[in-house]
Amino acid sequence: MAAVAAATDRRPKATKGRWPVEKLGVGIGWRPEIDLTVERLPGVDFVEVVAENLHVGHLPESVLLLRERGVPVLPHAVSLSLGGAEPVDAQRVAHLGALAEALDAPLVSDHVCFVRAGGLDSGHLMPLPRTRDALDVLVANVKAVQQDLPVPLALENVAALLEWPDGELTEGQFLAELVDRTDCHLLVDVANLYANARNLGTDVTRFLDEIPLERLAYVHVAGGEEHQGVYHDTHAHAVLPEVLDVLAQLRARVDPPGVLLERDDDYPADAELAAELAAIRAVLG
Amino acid sequence: MTRPQRERLAAAQAELLRALLADGAVPEGFDPERVRVEKRALLSKRRGIVEMLRPDVAVELGERFRPLFDAYAGAHPKEVGTRFREDAARFAEWAAARGELAPPRKRRWWQRAT
Repeated sequence: MAAVAAATDRRPKATKGRWPVEKLGVGIGWRPEIDLTVERLPGVDFVEVVAENLHVGHLPESVLLLRERGVPVLPHAVSLSLGGAEPVDAQRVAHLGALAEALDAPLVSDHVCFVRAGGLDSGHLMPLPRTRDALDVLVANVKAVQQDLPVPLALENVAALLEWPDGELTEGQFLAELVDRTDCHLLVDVANLYANARNLGTDVTRFLDEIPLERLAYVHVAGGEEHQGVYHDTHAHAVLPEVLDVLAQLRARVDPPGVLLERDDDYPADAELAAELAAIRAVLG
Repeated sequence: MTRPQRERLAAAQAELLRALLADGAVPEGFDPERVRVEKRALLSKRRGIVEMLRPDVAVELGERFRPLFDAYAGAHPKEVGTRFREDAARFAEWAAARGELAPPRKRRWWQRAT
């Protein structure tokens, strides 16, 4: 790991300036269950790892192999609970930062959500109330985390099954103000955006109009399924054509630096994942 | 600087999680049907993780796994600091204490998993 991290140019601090995101290309989420698949799939320009599942001292051989090939590996966190009412757990931030350094990652990410509250752990990415209060707390947490990270932070929109009452901002406005106040990057998940459009009536066009696309780090694409009239973002099913349509709408406005396919369960044959990557490339043109 | 906001947010988030993970009432202003859907989704995710971590327990319980886990989960919401592996172990102990699962045998070194 040290060897991987050794010969690197140190990049600007996360909090400072508008350092542009480098071109990432098309990628896939690396998971231990599909490590060999990810290694041999053609045209994987970058990968993402779930930060909480890796140990800096014992990085999987497959991840190190990808790094040796020069494939960027981006740590993606799911547990910082940045929108939680409590200050962010410093140990989780330290782990994310150490992982970024060990992998020489250009940036790291987590979600616009809360995970824990009142002593309970939801085990999931819970939506935030879109209120000024929640935004103030989120901004304060993000700024504190940025101080402790060696690389820029990108934040992702989540899929919600329920809506908080008394929202004061649209989701796009909420994210735009978050970016404006923290200088974070955005990780736009088009499947989550589709889910919210389906389940909560989020206006996709308005969302894309409102977010600062010049701060886009990369895009997530994932599969899901409808169950009793509600769309579930499962990451265990094929990517819907409707989700690729949202990607196309985004592509019509901006050439995203990267697009990454997430698959977390019920892993299909290599050919199926390759076909999904090809479908993404076709949309990007 | 954000103390009043944090206090209000903490109360609202805790109330929602109590409704979703334990036996709390649906907080005012939320669609009860959506809270039910979210509650079921979170339970299903937690059950799936425990099933993945302890396939032995899931296999032994068979069709009883799901209703038993759901009863356990509602009474024992996952607390901050509890790892999923501990959650799975506690469920196995809970099921064994109720006589649903054979008490864990002492494993010999050559049988030890993981």
